[in-house]
Amino acid sequence: METLGSSECNLGVLETLSDNEIQEVTESYDGFFTTVESLIAGTGDSSVEQEFVSHVYCLCKYGLDSLVRDHFLRSLEQAFEKSGASSFWHHFDAYSEKKHTNYGEEIHEVLCKALEEISIEKKCHEKCLSIVVHALQSFKEQSSDAKQNSDAENVHLLSRFRSMLSSTLMTTLPQHFPEILHWYFKEKLEELSVIMDEDDIRKHESDCMDLDEKLRNKNGEMDVDEGYPQGKYSRHDKLVKNIGKVVRDLRSIGFTSMAENAYASAIFLLLKAKVHDLAGDDYRTSVLGSIKEWIQTVPLQFLNALLSYLGDSISYSTTSSGLTSPLACCPSPSFSRVVTPSEGIVRWKLRLEYFAYETLQDFRIAKLFEIIVDYPESSPAIEDLKQCLEHTGQHSKLVESFISSLKYRLLTAGASTNDILHQYVSTIKALRAIDPAGVFLEAVGEPIRDYIRGRKDTIKCIVTMLTDGSGGNANGSGNPGDSLLEELMRDEESQENVGFDDDFHTDDKQAWINASRWEPDPVEADPLKGSLSQRKVDILGMLVDIIGSKEQLVSEYRVMLAEKLLNKTDYDIDSEIRTVELLKIHFGEASMQRCEIMLNDLIDSKRVNTNIKKASQTGAELGESELSVDTLTSTILSTNFWPPIQDEPLELPGPVDKLLSDYANRYHEIKTPRKLLWKKNLGTVKLELQFEDRPMQFTVSPTHAAIIMQFQEKKSWTATDLATAIGIPIDAFNRRVNFWISKGVLRESTGTDLNANVFTLVESITDSGKNESEELLAGDEESERAIASVEDQLRKEMTIYEKFIMGMLTNFGSMALERIHNTLKMFCVADPSYDKSLQQLQSFLSGLVSEEKLEFRDSMYLVKK
Amino acid sequence: MAAVNGYQGNTPADPPATNGSKQPVPSTKTVDSQSVLKRLQSELMGLMMGGDPGISAFPEEDNIFCWKGTITGSKETVFEGTEYRLSLSFSNDYPFKPPKVKFETCCFHPNVDVYGNICLDILQDKWSSAYDVRTILLSIQSLLGEPNISSPLNTQAAQLWSNQEEYKKMVEKLYKPLNA
Repeated sequence: METLGSSECNLGVLETLSDNEIQEVTESYDGFFTTVESLIAGTGDSSVEQEFVSHVYCLCKYGLDSLVRDHFLRSLEQAFEKSGASSFWHHFDAYSEKKHTNYGEEIHEVLCKALEEISIEKKCHEKCLSIVVHALQSFKEQSSDAKQNSDAENVHLLSRFRSMLSSTLMTTLPQHFPEILHWYFKEKLEELSVIMDEDDIRKHESDCMDLDEKLRNKNGEMDVDEGYPQGKYSRHDKLVKNIGKVVRDLRSIGFTSMAENAYASAIFLLLKAKVHDLAGDDYRTSVLGSIKEWIQTVPLQFLNALLSYLGDSISYSTTSSGLTSPLACCPSPSFSRVVTPSEGIVRWKLRLEYFAYETLQDFRIAKLFEIIVDYPESSPAIEDLKQCLEHTGQHSKLVESFISSLKYRLLTAGASTNDILHQYVSTIKALRAIDPAGVFLEAVGEPIRDYIRGRKDTIKCIVTMLTDGSGGNANGSGNPGDSLLEELMRDEESQENVGFDDDFHTDDKQAWINASRWEPDPVEADPLKGSLSQRKVDILGMLVDIIGSKEQLVSEYRVMLAEKLLNKTDYDIDSEIRTVELLKIHFGEASMQRCEIMLNDLIDSKRVNTNIKKASQTGAELGESELSVDTLTSTILSTNFWPPIQDEPLELPGPVDKLLSDYANRYHEIKTPRKLLWKKNLGTVKLELQFEDRPMQFTVSPTHAAIIMQFQEKKSWTATDLATAIGIPIDAFNRRVNFWISKGVLRESTGTDLNANVFTLVESITDSGKNESEELLAGDEESERAIASVEDQLRKEMTIYEKFIMGMLTNFGSMALERIHNTLKMFCVADPSYDKSLQQLQSFLSGLVSEEKLEFRDSMYLVKK
Repeated sequence: MAAVNGYQGNTPADPPATNGSKQPVPSTKTVDSQSVLKRLQSELMGLMMGGDPGISAFPEEDNIFCWKGTITGSKETVFEGTEYRLSLSFSNDYPFKPPKVKFETCCFHPNVDVYGNICLDILQDKWSSAYDVRTILLSIQSLLGEPNISSPLNTQAAQLWSNQEEYKKMVEKLYKPLNA
């Protein structure tokens, strides 16, 4: 528009001219045209130049200077389009067909060459332009115009030329050129990175020499090279110089942003690759530090060198908004590099670091499941992730991704409850490290909790995790969940701390510290779920939350404790006492009362046992077949406080039975009116079998011992006889006797039917396959347990209800569901009080109907006759 | 070896003898209904768990002081195959006073009158707080097969008792099955 306006104005000038003058104008105009052409073509010599200058003068005299400028630029553009641009792009024609991945080595040279050519072309054109400018300027000086004005015009003309140039190139830009650039920078950066890695080792050695080196370099040749003073890295230097040249050339033809895009994306790509390379699948080391270091050494060094080589750290900061800080206004690039990095570099550093955080965070989040699987070992990775998240703030990404991987990988039918729980505990611990407020944990834990509630063995697993913490883990896997007991202890400490915090008498100073430590909940927090203080991350609490109520957990623990205590032979219950004490802190005294009584039973047993033995020592001499009371230790239980104990009849061999009753009598003497009732099937027996050629030692259950003891009298027994002799059912007997057969102590020979099988004692070692005397706990291989499990107890509860239902129906004839429900509620109030819903009762009743115990007629239940 | 402490404490399954000996003398009259309630509840539990064949009892829906009982005639007696409904009502003095026990269904028996009243020593002067619902029902069950002919309430039945065949016919004639 500007051009058009000015020419119109000029045309107005033309009208006022005389014929002569018009003649003159036309002539010089034609002359101008021809000289321009030859000038641009580069064919003209100094005479052409002079001719051209005189024509320009002439035209300017008539105020046609704008016409001169426009035409000259137009001609330049045409010439450039014809030769420069097309030949420039022609260099890259060969690569248009290739795939993006590989352009080959020669592209570097091609690019350099093309850029060199176009720069020459451009220089040439600029020279022509300077002639015009010079001519115009000198004319203006003659007509005494203001100097500054012409300067501005000069700049204006140059910028017009440049924009013309770049727009010409842009319009003819082939599509694959940005790709080529990108690839070029990538290649070069990789090369640089390799060099840096190689030099990294050498760097340590030369660190002290650096300063001298630098000084010498500065004093020596103050050339463009000063952007990178460490002269000894000549390869690196050369490379940066090369790249710098390319960038500069690209800039000079107006490809500034394209070049920047290309090397920025190349740097990011390289950084991403580096992050992945460094992070890898190893979670045991922190990589954030080395990534940062790498950013510092490779891309930032490169950028630093590049920017200072281009010498435009100032122009950089001026182009990028008005954020120029006093720090960034450093005139000398070399100075700025040493003392304060230029703003451009700072910007780059922030960009690169953020990108590194984000990349590492995404990478770690994608692998979070695995990281948490080996949590305590992988805590450096968690720490990295925490730092990344602090910078990026993309916590929701973590939550979403982790939940989906949980659903896909953990919460499936194939995963064992134990694994899920271990993972849950690890998750809690790991996320607690990332986010102490537990907000994200809330979101992540929910699907796990919901899922695991549906599992039957959840409670048992949790209790096992709680109790097995102290001992060596039975399943051999060093899972983090094994330290749940530690968690209990930790909890104890923290509770003490809480007690201190809540103290009303904390002084003002403390209050101030607390207040200043306060942090708001993260924005992601659900306000409905209470504030920070209430959401204290408490692993046990979260586990109990899964179970639903602490009562259930305690009763399951009681069963497990009973089992453990019954298997003890040495009254050593220190670890159990500790566990119970810890649980007491957590669940309250009252709920652990029964467990405490169980422990007290053990302690009492120990004392009573010693008393009885002491009393017996003063007694009479033992008979031939009698056993010393010293061989016996007893565990005396207060049955009411123990979980129901499985009872199984057992006839003990005479001497043992005598020993037990003697013991019981002594107990009665000491503790009148109390009496001992033996649970003969429980406990363990250590025995030694003396064969003809060898002794063998075993630790077995009383039933096993009773079986083998029968062979003292008789070398072979039929199954039925033996089962009767020890007073256990034949099927139970068959199950037990297998133990001795597997140990090579007994041999089974088939009788007429299974119950008539004959068992014979294997006396000599040569008969049996085994030759080592071994000590084994035989009781473990049985699936049955001494203590009724919680499920068994539930079944037992239901049989109580059944009896009540039968009782009321016998006496009231028929009753409706509602009335049965109410009556049960009314009268079934003892130990397992009736707490089922109407629906549960209905399904139980229909179960009884299908068992043909009840009849259902006209919506009334009655006893089936 | 594991053993169980013989001392059973205050469980529902307690033998009544222990309980009785520990109770204060009835003349003090300090029994409150709460302890009666407890005692009846534990008796119910014991009865349900005990599972004695042929006897059963259960409180009415809203009142634990009123029970219904059921006994079946013992085998090899004339009452074999019959079933009788009883009502037991306990006072606040229970177990120091015996409960009132009546036959609800007609029972042709020398010691049971037409209104169902029972003549049994343990329900009157021989009562002891050691007895409970279970022992009452068991006593009545055995009374069926072994009546006390010397002090009959139903003289006709007492006379007929010597002729067991005729007696059985009479029992069957007068018997009305429950739940009918």
